[in-house]
Amino acid sequence: MTTIAETPTSTRRPARRSRGRWFAQVGWRHLVGVLAVVFSLFPILFVISAAFNPLGTLSSTELLPTGASLENFTNLFDNTAFGHWFLNSLLLAGVASFASIFLSSLAAYAFSRMRFAGRRVGLLALLLIQMFPQFLAIVAIFLIFTTLTDLYPAIGFNTPWGLFLLYMGGALGANTWLMKGFFDTLPKELDESATMDGASHVQVFFRIMLPLVAPILAVTGLLAFIGSINEFIIANVFLTEPESKTLAVGMYGLVAGERNNNFGMFAAGTLLTAIPTVLVFQLLQRYIVSGLTSGAVKG
Amino acid sequence: MSAPVSGPGSAPQAPGREPVRRGLPRMSRTARQHAPITATGLVVKVVLLGLVAGIAIWAAFPLIEAEHWLALGVLAVTTAGLFYLYLSRRHIPAKYLVPGTLFLIAFQVFPVLYTASTAFTNFGDGHRGSKDDAIVAVQTASVKQVPGSTEYNLTIATTGDPATGSLTFLLSDPKSKEVFAGDADGLRKLDAADVEVSSLSGKITAADGYTLLNIGQASSRSDAITALIVPTDDGAIRSNGLTRAYEGKAIRAYDAACDCVKDSETGKTWTADEDSGSFVAADGERLAQGWKVGVGLKNFATVLTDRNISGPFFGTLAWNFAFAIGSTGLTFLLGMAIALALHSPRMRGTNLYRMVLILPYAMPSFAMLLIWRDMFNTDFGLLNNLFGLDVDWFGGNWSARIAVVLVQLWLGYPYMFLVATGALQAIPRELTEATSVDGASPWQSFRAVTLPLLLVALSPLLIASFAFNFNNVNAILFTTEGGPFAPDNPTNGATDLLITYTYRLAFGAQGAEFGLAATVSIFIFAIVATVSAISFRRTRKQEEVYS
Amino acid sequence: MRIRTAGVVAVLGLALAASGCGDSGSDKPAADESAKATGGKLVIWADDKRTAALKPFAEEFGKENGVTVEVQAVSKDLQTNFVTASQQGSGPDVVVGAHDWIGNLVQNGAIDPVQLPAEQKAGFNETAIKAVTFNGQVYGVPYATENVALIRNTELAPEAPKTIEDLVATGKKLKAEKKASEILCLQSGQNGDAYHIYPLYTSGGGYLFGTAANGDYDPKDLGVGKPESIAAFQKIAKLGEKGEGALKRSITGENSIATFTGKKCAFLVSGPWAVADAKKANIAYDISPVPGFAGGKEAQPFVGVQAFYVAAKGKNKALAQEFVTNYVTKPELAVALYKAEPRPPALTAAFDQVKGEDADLAKFSEAGKNGQVLPAIPAMAAIWDPFGKAEAAIIGGADPAKTITAAGKTIQGQIK
Repeated sequence: MTTIAETPTSTRRPARRSRGRWFAQVGWRHLVGVLAVVFSLFPILFVISAAFNPLGTLSSTELLPTGASLENFTNLFDNTAFGHWFLNSLLLAGVASFASIFLSSLAAYAFSRMRFAGRRVGLLALLLIQMFPQFLAIVAIFLIFTTLTDLYPAIGFNTPWGLFLLYMGGALGANTWLMKGFFDTLPKELDESATMDGASHVQVFFRIMLPLVAPILAVTGLLAFIGSINEFIIANVFLTEPESKTLAVGMYGLVAGERNNNFGMFAAGTLLTAIPTVLVFQLLQRYIVSGLTSGAVKG
Repeated sequence: MSAPVSGPGSAPQAPGREPVRRGLPRMSRTARQHAPITATGLVVKVVLLGLVAGIAIWAAFPLIEAEHWLALGVLAVTTAGLFYLYLSRRHIPAKYLVPGTLFLIAFQVFPVLYTASTAFTNFGDGHRGSKDDAIVAVQTASVKQVPGSTEYNLTIATTGDPATGSLTFLLSDPKSKEVFAGDADGLRKLDAADVEVSSLSGKITAADGYTLLNIGQASSRSDAITALIVPTDDGAIRSNGLTRAYEGKAIRAYDAACDCVKDSETGKTWTADEDSGSFVAADGERLAQGWKVGVGLKNFATVLTDRNISGPFFGTLAWNFAFAIGSTGLTFLLGMAIALALHSPRMRGTNLYRMVLILPYAMPSFAMLLIWRDMFNTDFGLLNNLFGLDVDWFGGNWSARIAVVLVQLWLGYPYMFLVATGALQAIPRELTEATSVDGASPWQSFRAVTLPLLLVALSPLLIASFAFNFNNVNAILFTTEGGPFAPDNPTNGATDLLITYTYRLAFGAQGAEFGLAATVSIFIFAIVATVSAISFRRTRKQEEVYS
Repeated sequence: MRIRTAGVVAVLGLALAASGCGDSGSDKPAADESAKATGGKLVIWADDKRTAALKPFAEEFGKENGVTVEVQAVSKDLQTNFVTASQQGSGPDVVVGAHDWIGNLVQNGAIDPVQLPAEQKAGFNETAIKAVTFNGQVYGVPYATENVALIRNTELAPEAPKTIEDLVATGKKLKAEKKASEILCLQSGQNGDAYHIYPLYTSGGGYLFGTAANGDYDPKDLGVGKPESIAAFQKIAKLGEKGEGALKRSITGENSIATFTGKKCAFLVSGPWAVADAKKANIAYDISPVPGFAGGKEAQPFVGVQAFYVAAKGKNKALAQEFVTNYVTKPELAVALYKAEPRPPALTAAFDQVKGEDADLAKFSEAGKNGQVLPAIPAMAAIWDPFGKAEAAIIGGADPAKTITAAGKTIQGQIK
């Protein structure tokens, strides 16, 4: 830490500084950072330790790793359909988050930029509809999808596409508000002048608005991705075939019956599940970090 | 969606073609709406509409096959509507709203309305299906083997094609070695010379004039086999699987004349009671199989009068708000504090910090919730062991509440840290520097400049986060399961959110009570709707600021 | 440029979605056709543990008969989901579950009675047949019975305790000698566990339901909340956290077996499923009945039966009946299932066959000899949750009389 702090490329006062002053200006920040890292990591450390614990049981796991064995990982792939779960989740979360931010950005654009009868009622309805607990609707979902499964097996029970359609039903409710708030902060002059220049509403949307709202697209995309990876209640009733399950459903099953014995495999699965999310995050973070409020503050 | 009224996207009256208008030197803004159609735009439009048509055609065939004419009509109208909408130049807002709305109606509005309607019924375990279902269930459940009757070995056969021909049961009596053929017309004896019977299984393995179905073939005609009942004097011969048959008789039968179920052995009758959806005998005994009936406002009355439900309702509601506000607020505060600490041009390694700090957010929350639950265990949990504490985390009301909020804090603060970092980057440095030149302390400049700007930028995110946490089932279900519960009320726990409480009503161990759960949801919905509607009125002002 | 990128991405996304639909669309019919070519399809639902054990045998059945068999695991709320799915017509053909589901499944018209000929019935353990009989009809084919017993670490506690008081004394001594950290591993958790505490409850004099004239349980005579139940829980409270500390809420279903195999407690109240763990951990153990209170009544564990049911609205009922009545009733299958998961087989022939090689089996059935068959009446569903929560509260130090009276009221209110 010290070495990093003592080799600044450009400081206003390159003269010698006392440790106290260094601490007052930079050091405490590292202290906060390190504390935060500790807080963030210790439960994860426990998971890592369990994942590499050759005994693979809950009771034999300590906070610090006691062994290094890939047995849990190989068991995971050999004894369960983990590969399928992983791909299902990835596909589902990828497609669903992409489609859902697309649908909701369309709606958010209309709600933010256009004035039409029923606009405010529509907005309020969107907010309210998602307050109704969706798990209660499971009976109705069975009703719909039993018919759909008979007619179109390709989008029925036990298919990622059926679940995808279902998640799309929630797309508007979840993200439209968030995006509309962001669209609202973009100055109207931008699209008005584009319109003056002869751009159609489609061009205004794709060419001007979407690039400007990239940060919020990244945020909602990340939210939607993580949301679908974690969704359990609906997926649990929807996917019963072992190879059609998602990570949340499959891995819950690992510990539902034998919590103690499968714990190592469960921990290994947890670590693997985190990988795509971390990658998506790395991909999107520059959009988020580079100016979430471009509109709000500069406008 | 209704027709557009105003706004940049709408054009009250603007038919006509682009090239002509484009040439005009001056025109009003509204008339300028129709920009030229670009080649890309056209191609995309054609492809997408082609896709819609393709999907519609793909969807139509099964509907025609199944003769779902109403559904086919809906499909045709929807497709036509989509074509009209995207080919016409009008209804611009609708063009943006319809795609999401279609999904919303099919997979959210319909289920919600359907569910809400069950609040007026007794829908739940024992009362799930229709009266006809219940009658079938009562009769099937009462089928008993005729005492002293024969257990036959069964072979499924047909005189026609194995896949389609009408079926016959070829039966052999293992004791008398007699063989029979049975179909819906009754049982007739076969000549033993015409059939071969396996000495091993006792089953008929060949019969003149019949094609025998093997198990594989028979299994694909399961429905026909189950439906085939061979009438006899004492009852009827039914299949029991694919290799045996028995002579059975339904002891109980429904009689439409008296709208009751009669037991032919005891002579007891149970009369249909349409108010409760059950068959009730004169002595008050009910048959287990009931059906779904409307009960009017009974569930609403239950919610209001049942002390176990109404008593803790407002306490739960208050905790629900506290949980949502606490989870959102604390994650925001912690995330922002760390973001502020790391936000300095002199800081090195911020990227590294960021990568590590985000990890809790990237870990699958369902897994981490289960792991946190183990960590809170009084005697074996990591938390107590690590810090030498002896706190009964999930045992006390407040410690359990603190624990679930702490878990939410861990899961959620990286997100807030991330967005706060983003927002901080966007605040021009000159603004904060200007205040410090004016002699303001860092705290003052934070209060006066940074915080307001952050709040403006992040308030939509905070509202979304609040809405999510308000109904955060997993946070409770995977940790405390609503507990701890007061000794005198096992139905409502200290960390129960309204939604987890409803979840237990609907799926709890005591049997599903969907009707009651839907009623509770309507109450919750009404409360949330009121709160939202009030705060929504305030957003109008905010919108006006922007527009 | 941007618009083009966005547009291309959008189109690609849709195309991907469309082609994905197409793909799975073409997959599915193909799969269906192959199923048709060989025969019907049998779908079985079970929980995760049993799915794994069942899979090979179900596939074997499929191969023998030229049909497709799928065993699917429903990890959470299997019973509710089965009822909901089957009512709408998208349920399985066969479901595997504990016999105390029967009441609820029957009242929802979700399962059909199975017709077992007398000689087949005679092949089963009498208790098991009694357990799956409801309103005079047999509703499922049992394959294993189970009950809890006292498993003890013979290194720490060589003698089987005669009474709970004995057990506590031994446990306390071990704790004082630092040989163990817990007196007894009896899982409760924060929400209690009616199943595991039941032997102590009966030994204290409590009961759940009275018996009607025909020998069935009578939902009108609820024992929870009666003076006997209060007396029983007063005895249990003495063992709780404010008393001897033998019963603790921190011992949960997840850690009780692990704590025992970690040699942190000498006594474990658990079922046959715990034995595999004890063997794996190389614990020297022995099995004896759960002891009762000194001077109390006999400690009676619940006897549960795992059974196969034929779904009333299954798509392939005839095949389901064939599987359940003719395949599940074979001793070979019962033995094989036992080997996958060591629970005493319900088929007498199978039990006798494995008895010789597994001494634990006899000890478990000895412990369950005086057990009570879990009530299968629908009213039983109302018991679990309030009873368990009351148990947890009392273990934690709540007043037994007040708590159990409230639980009794709640249960009474839920029994219709």
